Amino acid sequence: MEEQAAQLPQAIDSILAGAGSLLPELLLAIFFLLLVTLDLFKSKTVKRLLPWVALTGLFSVLVLLVLGPQGIDGVQFLNLLRSDGIARYTGILFSLTGIFTILLSLQNPKIERRKQGEGRGEYYALILMLVLGLNLMAKSVNLLMVFLAIEVVSIASYILTLTLKEEKKAVEAGLKYVLYGTLSAGVMLYGMSFFYGLTGSLDYTLVSFWRSLLDASPLMVTVAAILVFAGFLFKISAAPFHFWTPEVYQGAPMPIVALFSTGPKMAGIIVIMRFVAAFADPTIAGAFADVQLFLGIAALATLAVGNFTALWQRTPRRLMAFSSVSHAGFLLMALLAFGSDYTVSVLFYMTVLLFMNFGIFLFLQMAEEDWQVHTLEDFKGMGTRVPFAGVMALLFLLSLTGLPPLAGFMGKLLVFSNVWEAYTANGQPMLLVLLVVGILLTGVALFYYIKIPYHLFLKRNQTAENLVISLSNKLLLVFFALPLLVLFFKPDLLLQWIQKLLA
Amino acid sequence: MNYTLSSLIFLPLLAALVVLLLPTRMQRGIKAVALGGTLLQLAVAVWLYLGFDGAKVANGQTGYQFVEKLDWIGFSLGSLGRFQIEYFVGVDGVSISMVLLTGIVGVIGVISSWNITKNVKGYFSLYLLLMTSVMGCFLALDFFLFYLFFEFMLLPMYFLIGMWGGPKREYAALKFFIYTLIGSLFILVVMIGLYTSVIDPEATAQQMGLIGQDVPASLDMVRQVQQMLQQGAISEADMVRTFSIPAMMEPANFIPGSLLHVFSGVSLFDLPIRFVAFLLVLAGFLIKVPSVPVHTWLPDAHVEAPTPISVLLAAILLKVGGYGLIRIAYPVFPDAGAYFSTFVGGLGVLSIIYGALCALAMNDLKKLIAYSSVSHMGFVLLGLASLTNEGVNGAIYMMFSHGLISAMLFLVVGVIYDRAHDRMILNFRGLAKRMPAYTAFVVIAFFASLGLPGFSGFIAELLVLLGSFSAPEATGMLPRWMAIVAVIGLLLSAAYYLWALQRMFFGKYWIFPELRGKAQLTDLTKREYLMLLPLAILAFVFGIFPHLLLDKTGMTVTGFTELVLRNGQEQLNILQAILQR
Repeated sequence: MEEQAAQLPQAIDSILAGAGSLLPELLLAIFFLLLVTLDLFKSKTVKRLLPWVALTGLFSVLVLLVLGPQGIDGVQFLNLLRSDGIARYTGILFSLTGIFTILLSLQNPKIERRKQGEGRGEYYALILMLVLGLNLMAKSVNLLMVFLAIEVVSIASYILTLTLKEEKKAVEAGLKYVLYGTLSAGVMLYGMSFFYGLTGSLDYTLVSFWRSLLDASPLMVTVAAILVFAGFLFKISAAPFHFWTPEVYQGAPMPIVALFSTGPKMAGIIVIMRFVAAFADPTIAGAFADVQLFLGIAALATLAVGNFTALWQRTPRRLMAFSSVSHAGFLLMALLAFGSDYTVSVLFYMTVLLFMNFGIFLFLQMAEEDWQVHTLEDFKGMGTRVPFAGVMALLFLLSLTGLPPLAGFMGKLLVFSNVWEAYTANGQPMLLVLLVVGILLTGVALFYYIKIPYHLFLKRNQTAENLVISLSNKLLLVFFALPLLVLFFKPDLLLQWIQKLLA
Repeated sequence: MNYTLSSLIFLPLLAALVVLLLPTRMQRGIKAVALGGTLLQLAVAVWLYLGFDGAKVANGQTGYQFVEKLDWIGFSLGSLGRFQIEYFVGVDGVSISMVLLTGIVGVIGVISSWNITKNVKGYFSLYLLLMTSVMGCFLALDFFLFYLFFEFMLLPMYFLIGMWGGPKREYAALKFFIYTLIGSLFILVVMIGLYTSVIDPEATAQQMGLIGQDVPASLDMVRQVQQMLQQGAISEADMVRTFSIPAMMEPANFIPGSLLHVFSGVSLFDLPIRFVAFLLVLAGFLIKVPSVPVHTWLPDAHVEAPTPISVLLAAILLKVGGYGLIRIAYPVFPDAGAYFSTFVGGLGVLSIIYGALCALAMNDLKKLIAYSSVSHMGFVLLGLASLTNEGVNGAIYMMFSHGLISAMLFLVVGVIYDRAHDRMILNFRGLAKRMPAYTAFVVIAFFASLGLPGFSGFIAELLVLLGSFSAPEATGMLPRWMAIVAVIGLLLSAAYYLWALQRMFFGKYWIFPELRGKAQLTDLTKREYLMLLPLAILAFVFGIFPHLLLDKTGMTVTGFTELVLRNGQEQLNILQAILQR
């Protein structure tokens, strides 16, 4: 007790010194409280203002991150958080995720016109809370902090899934999500306790942490690692922990599905990336092969499950669920190119994923809410009725497949190049297998992504009158599609900027 | 800089944008813009053809003409040096023939599309987009640029078949898309491998500060950089990796220790990794050619596609496969090219015979012609595999000539299909009585295709056979029986054409009773003359004056065969020494 009291002033100093780098998170927390407070007022004007308040919050965080001063790169808060270029760039991505989610929600009649705005405050507040959690996930370098951040995200996700609680499938999805989620959280925590028992620390940036693991019984370490990774893989919906994905994607409101397919996935990847980055230390680098094997198998399984299961889906929501599983596989694969300069490629891939996923989910939201399209077959002949939106959907889907001239191709090209580099450097056969499987699965991916344009344009339908698309939806579609073209033709603009942030 | 090639590539794209801006009901205007765009493209192509100096090309690495080279994408990847993609286009003897062909067929295709009524705007914008990507494919000298155009071709084609095609169009379009996408994914693997293995000596010299930025490197400088590279005297950070195909053709540009370097010693499935890479590229292009056994998408696509799209598919898109082999597979992997020549030649012979036998068995006239394409494309493979000057020239000549003749053949099928909505051979007899002018063109097209002297097909087949006969002595490639078997293919092609001619056009006039009410068997219209006559004349002209094309291709081909044989033999010896160890 005495000792701890003596250390207290020191600890407080260190916390205060680091507070500056936590400004984005503080802002998010303030706006979260503001939203909750505003929600108490019954006035309709206030209710109508809520999404805009949330947008202001996210936008100010975005501006702060983009234009703000290069923060102090380093470990703060008693080695719990690390703010560096990666955290800053992903912070930008998370703010964008939040902004896009709100923009999509504003276009969604189910969320916007629900019983005089009941529950709107909590909806938008929780989006902010989720973004806050994502930021913390990307910054955590301590297993305890990782757990807390993941739980913040998870709890917000459970409630957001249940936004439309009057719908039966939303309730079903929410329940399944909570059950799977709490189970995986428990498992992860269990694994972390093993780590703590073996090493006496939860700070995995310490070399001593890894050394004690190398000295410990391999069986114990393996079990612990598998348990911890189960939690991580659950968050990015990688196989074999993806079973919640189709259910949740089927039941949650569309903007929230779009959010799930991007934000938590990116944050989960960053968590794994920081974990893996510890192996850069030469004294423990030899142990990486095992982790690589484990993650490689997970990536292969994820790619295979995602792509092949997507082939059999009949609804666009489930199709996109398995598509998001397969993209998790690609991101995992990108992480395995450890040893090459892969961070930039991973961040680039995430950026592209953000735009194409939100684009296609906006299209699916329009299809569901405005045109009553619920299965792939319902798209039959819609292409001639909504030519503009149809062409935009084509762009998003081809980018998801990874065909030129769209940024999805560039993202995949960078990832594959890194894997090839890493294979050249260390000759791990796993990398070559991943490369070949990854590339060939692109052919499979085309087969299911093309189903939507196939029904849109190739199938014919009796009714031919044009459907009106609101201007705001049109603008949003263009807004999501444009970066995909720009990032194909001039990817170096973004790549150089990312490099500058990381430097 | 001279912007001729860019204008060739982007003129149709510009026209496509104009088409998109025109209101939907201005159908005539849209067609006129499409025609104008392709006519302009043809004019530039002809101008390029006239301006191209066939004597100037020394070998495959330098001597491209009308070159345009602009930085496109470039960034440093930390320890991995720079990553560089260029807008790099140029022509040599191989591409000039394909450019001319694309120009000609593009115009004919628009004329043949004149009676399209459904969604005219969409049709012509996709058509023009396709023209841009095909032209880009033939002109690109940067692998990334090539791949971009190569893969982008699939998309307009998918919709053109899938939206304007026949009853089973969805199936055929999807099959076409998946087959060719798988092919291009094979190529993508190798592209990634190549770019991580190859540096651009000029840009590397600039990066190292040996010469100033934007200063062209002298030949000595290039040699010096290459020497330093092979000695390992260049740090990773100074290496500028490139997608430039000419740079990939020089073994000295490969980074020591990279997987595709000749000395890498890495093998997969007991083959050197360079051989595996060659086989992947080969597979990718063979699907496009198409060669037996990966040809099955072609008959489906042809049967379901509307006539003008069949024309484009047969006349231009198939050529990209053969062109890719000449441009990329052989010069970049000459060792594997030499090693696998019997295999490639064998596939060629197999395609010739199998395609011809299938054609013989077909009752649908369009399917017959689709299989005859498979058979004729086999000659391209055979000629190429011989690696003799005659053989390779013959392969290029075959691609050009088949472009003209197959266009004509598919147009001819379109004529009867437009009138009778049927094209089964057995449903017609004695058409010559009712449609004499039409029959005359059919006879010309059939005879030109089966290789009658006086038409371009004859020159092509002659050159290929000469090349493959002399190959065992001249280059040590191909067993002699292959050329002999290929001659049997010629006989078979005479058989299926003459038999079809006899069954459909000669004898007493008769058509299948159920067709009688619907069919209006009038003779050719003016528009049909306009598209058939130029093709017939060109097939004749290039059959009488082969030097029109051979003068342009000759020196390039000499350079190509020398490079492939010299480098191929050297590297093959190294690889085999490593394998035996």
